Amino acid sequence: MAALILPAGLLVVLLMVAPMLLLARISLNQFSPTEMMVEAMSPENYIRAVQDPYYRSVLLTTMVVALGCTLLCLALGFPTAYWLARMQSRWKSIATILILFPLLVGNVVRSAGWIALLGNEGAINAALRGLHLIEAPLPLLYNAFAVVVGIVAVVLPYMILTLSAVIEGIPRQTEEAAANLGARPLTAFRRVVLPLAIPGVAAGSVLVFILCMNAYATPVLLGGPQFKMMAPAVYDQFVRGNNWPFGAALAFILLFATMVLTLVGSALIGRRYRR
Amino acid sequence: MGDLVLEALTKRYGGTVAVEDVDLEVRQGEMVALLGPSGCGKTTTLRMVAGFITPSAGHVRIAGQDVTRRPPYARDTGMVFQSYALFPHMSVAQNVAFGLEMRRVGRTERETRVMEALRLVRLDHLADRLPGQLSGGQQQRVALARALVVNPAVFLLDEPLSNLDAKLRGEVRMEIRSLQQRLGLTTLIVTHDQEEALTMADRLVVMERGRVRQVGTAEELYESPRDPFVAGFVGRCNLIEGQPEGTAGFRARGGALLPCTTAAAPVGTGGVLALRPERIALAAAAPGEGAARLEAVTYLGAQTEYVVDYAGTSLVVIRATPPEGDPLRRLAPGDAVALTWDPAAARLLPAQ
Amino acid sequence: MTITRRLALSGGAAALTAGLPGIARAADGRVVIGTWGGDYGNLLRQNIDEPIVQPKGIEVLQDVANADPRKTKLLAERQTRRGTFDVACLSDTDMYLISQQNALQPLEMGKLSRADAIIPALKKPYAIPHIYSALVLLYNPAKVTTKPTAFADMWDPKYKGRVGFSDILYNTNTLAAAMAGGGGVHDYKPAEKMLMEMRKLDAKVYPSNEALAAALKSEEVWLTPMWLARGFMWKQSGIPVKHVVPKEGAYSIVFEAAIPKNARNLDNAYTYLDAMLDAKAQTGFARQMGYLPTVKDAKLDADLAQEISLSEEEQNRLVTPDYEYLQQHLNEYLDFWNKQFKA
Repeated sequence: MAALILPAGLLVVLLMVAPMLLLARISLNQFSPTEMMVEAMSPENYIRAVQDPYYRSVLLTTMVVALGCTLLCLALGFPTAYWLARMQSRWKSIATILILFPLLVGNVVRSAGWIALLGNEGAINAALRGLHLIEAPLPLLYNAFAVVVGIVAVVLPYMILTLSAVIEGIPRQTEEAAANLGARPLTAFRRVVLPLAIPGVAAGSVLVFILCMNAYATPVLLGGPQFKMMAPAVYDQFVRGNNWPFGAALAFILLFATMVLTLVGSALIGRRYRR
Repeated sequence: MGDLVLEALTKRYGGTVAVEDVDLEVRQGEMVALLGPSGCGKTTTLRMVAGFITPSAGHVRIAGQDVTRRPPYARDTGMVFQSYALFPHMSVAQNVAFGLEMRRVGRTERETRVMEALRLVRLDHLADRLPGQLSGGQQQRVALARALVVNPAVFLLDEPLSNLDAKLRGEVRMEIRSLQQRLGLTTLIVTHDQEEALTMADRLVVMERGRVRQVGTAEELYESPRDPFVAGFVGRCNLIEGQPEGTAGFRARGGALLPCTTAAAPVGTGGVLALRPERIALAAAAPGEGAARLEAVTYLGAQTEYVVDYAGTSLVVIRATPPEGDPLRRLAPGDAVALTWDPAAARLLPAQ
Repeated sequence: MTITRRLALSGGAAALTAGLPGIARAADGRVVIGTWGGDYGNLLRQNIDEPIVQPKGIEVLQDVANADPRKTKLLAERQTRRGTFDVACLSDTDMYLISQQNALQPLEMGKLSRADAIIPALKKPYAIPHIYSALVLLYNPAKVTTKPTAFADMWDPKYKGRVGFSDILYNTNTLAAAMAGGGGVHDYKPAEKMLMEMRKLDAKVYPSNEALAAALKSEEVWLTPMWLARGFMWKQSGIPVKHVVPKEGAYSIVFEAAIPKNARNLDNAYTYLDAMLDAKAQTGFARQMGYLPTVKDAKLDADLAQEISLSEEEQNRLVTPDYEYLQQHLNEYLDFWNKQFKA
C-alpha cells in the first residue's frame, strides 16, 4: 500500500508545494525593466506593496467584497440548503442538479450573461426604459454591485451544498422538540438548527471566502477597469507589467490575508457557538 | 393539566388514509395508550395532537380549547420522542431549561424548576453533562424531565422505551408510570408493545389500518374484545371460524362443536369464537377416550403450552406447569387428552 | 509558466524545452513559425504558407501561443544550440526587448530578395516589418460634428463623459495623452497631468476592446484613440466611427518577424521572411485585417486604400516608439494608469 501511496504523495507535494516555493523565491527577487528579474534576497517587494496605499485599498476592497459575498451567500444559501436538506427523496436529486447546474457554465460565459443583463443596453435597463420607469440607464455594470452579484452567483452552490450536507445530519425531531417546547420557528432556528449547523456554516464560509478572495474572471469582466481586486492585480503584474517579483509578493500577501481572515473567522465562529 | 379530546380526527395522504375518524377522550390525569401494529396510524395520531401533522378533518381539543389549527409551539404539549431528540449542543440543565426559557420563566425560578425536574428523574448530579456523555437510559430521563418541567397540559410519549434494552425497559416503565400518576399527567403514549401498554396505561386504544378497533381498560379489552383483531392483538387467543348452532354451541369449520353460552346469534350466520388458551382445562384421558389428541408440548418454565387437535380444530392451551409427579407432566404428543372450559369463557365475535 | 520562467534563470528550462521531442527536430523540409493563433495565424496560412512557401516543398508548422509565453521561450532558449522557432512573430516593442536580450540573429539582407521593397522607415537590423498600423483618433461623425484634428480635442469639455478608453491599451492611451499634452514617444510625463484632467472630464474606461466597441456602437462614447486597422474592422461591422490621423503625430505599431539565434532551418526561415514581404500576400493582409503593407510595391484598391492608408502628409507625421524609453518606463505608466487615473 505504501508503495502505491508514496509516488502519488510525492507527486502531490511536487505539484502543490514546488510552485509555491518557486513563487516565494521569485517574490524576493528584484525587478528590472531590461532583465525582467534580477536574483536577490530582499523583502522590498513586500514592503512596497504594504506601503503603497493603492494596493492597501485593493486588498481592502478584496476583503470587503469577499466578506460581503460570504455573508450574502450564508443569508441566501441557508434557507435554500435547509429546504434542500429537508426535501423528500424524489425531488431531491433533481433540485441538487439544478443547484449545481450553474457550475457547468464557465465563469467567463456566465459573466457574459451578466453583462447582457446588467449593461447600459442590457435587458434590465432596456426593460426599465421600455416601461418609462427610468430616463438614463442605471449603473448596474462595472461596479462593486455587479462583482458581488457575479461572484455570489458563482459560489452560492458551494455554500448550499456544504450547508445542506450538514443540515441533513440534524435530526428533524430535534427541531420538533424545540417547537414542542414552545420555540417559534425563528427561535428554533437560532437556538437549535443554527448552532448544530455551525460546522457547515464554518466549512461553507471558509470555502466561499477563499473562492471570493481569489476571484479573477468575475471582477475583471464585471468590475470593469476601475474596480480592482487582488487576483487581477497579481495577474496585471505578471502579464502586463512583466514584474514577476512584485506579482509574486502580491500573491503571497493575498495568500496570507486569506489565511489570517479564515483562521480568525473560524475561531470567532467556534467561540460564539462552542458547546 | 387538562383533558384531551379527539373528534373524528382524519389524515389522508392523497388517496391513502393514514388515520380515519378517530374519536377519543383522554381524561384529566389519565394515561391512554395507542396500541397497534406498525402502520396502524397511532404515531400519525400522536403527531396530530402535537401539531406536527395537520389533520385533513376533525378536531383536537386540549383543556377545552380547539387547537386543531395551532402550530406545535402554541399547543402546550410535552413530548418525549422515540429518539429523545435532545439538543446535543446544550448541557442537560440547558436542555431541561429550554421550555421554561420559551415560556419566559425568570432565571431564578427556572433554575429551581430545572433542578426539581432533574431530581425527579434522579439526574441532578449530571446537570452539566452534554447528552452525548450520558447512557441511553439517562438520556431518556433527560427527555422526560425536559417535557415535564413545563407542566404541559398533555404529556405525549412516542415509543419511549423502544431504544432501551430489555432489562432497563421494565424499570423505566415503572418509573414513567409512577411519575405520571404522582403528577397526575394527562398522557397519551404510543406503543406497539402490548405488554408495555397493558402495564402502563389506564386505558388502551387498539388501532388497525387507521381506525380505532376498541377502547377500554386492559381488562375490558382482554375479557371482552369487540372483534377478532382485538382479541388476537391483546394477549393470546384461539380464534376459531365457524358458525353458532343455537344453544348447542359453536360449529367450527373443522367440524368440532365447541360449547359456548353466547350463542344467541341466529343459526347460519358466520362468526369467530374467541377462547383464551389459559381458560381451557386439560386432563389426561384413557387411550381411545376423549375427542382430543395432543400434538405438541412446549415447556415455558412456570407455564406449559400444549397444542391440541380438538376434533379437527387446533387449539392452544396454556396451563401452569404441573408439579413433579403429576401425571400431566408425562404427557407426550400423540396422547389422548380431554379439554374442558366454562362455556361463558368462549366469546362469540362477528366474522372479520 | 512560473516553473519555466524560474528555471530559465538557472538555464534549466532551456535544456528542458530543447530536449522535448518537438516538431522542430527534423531539419530540411520544415520551418517552424512562432505566432499568434486566430486571425493572424489563419491569414499567414492563407496568404503565405499555402500559396508561396509550401509549393517550394517546405512544410510550415505553426507553434501557436500568446506573445508572453513565446517571449519567455525565446529568452529561455537563448543559451541553447537548437531553438524551437525558426521564425518569431512579435510586435515591434516586444521584438526590441527580445533583441536586447540577444535572442535574435542579425538579418543578412542579402538573403532577402524583397529587402529593397521595405518602406525605409520600418527597416530594422534584426527583424522584418510584416504589417503596420497607426494610432488614430476614432470619432462618431453624427455626434462629433466638428471634425476633430488632434488627440487634444478629446479634452474639449463638450465631450465630457463621451471619451472612452480600452483598459488593455493603457500604453497607447497614455501616449495619446502625452502627445496631447506636448510630450511624445520620448516623454510620457505630460500624460500624467492630461490623464488627471481627463479623469475630471469623466472619461469611461472599458475592460476590453470589445466592450469599448459595444460602447461606441451604442453611442455611449464618441471618441477614442485606437489602431487604425481595428477602427477599419469596426467600421466594417457597422460601428459608427470615422478616423483622423491626429496632428500631434501618428504613432505606429509594426508586427514584425525575426529569426532566433538558434533557428535550425535557417534557409527556410529566410524563405519565409521573404514570402511575408510578398506584395500580394501583404495586400491580402490589408484587405482582411486593415493593416498596412510594409512594402512599397503592394497595391491596394482605391476604396480600401482610402480607409486604411495614410496620405503622404500623414505619413510624414508617423512616429516610431522609443523602445528604450518604453522598456524603462512602461511599468511606471501602468502603475499610473491603474493607481492614479483609474482609481
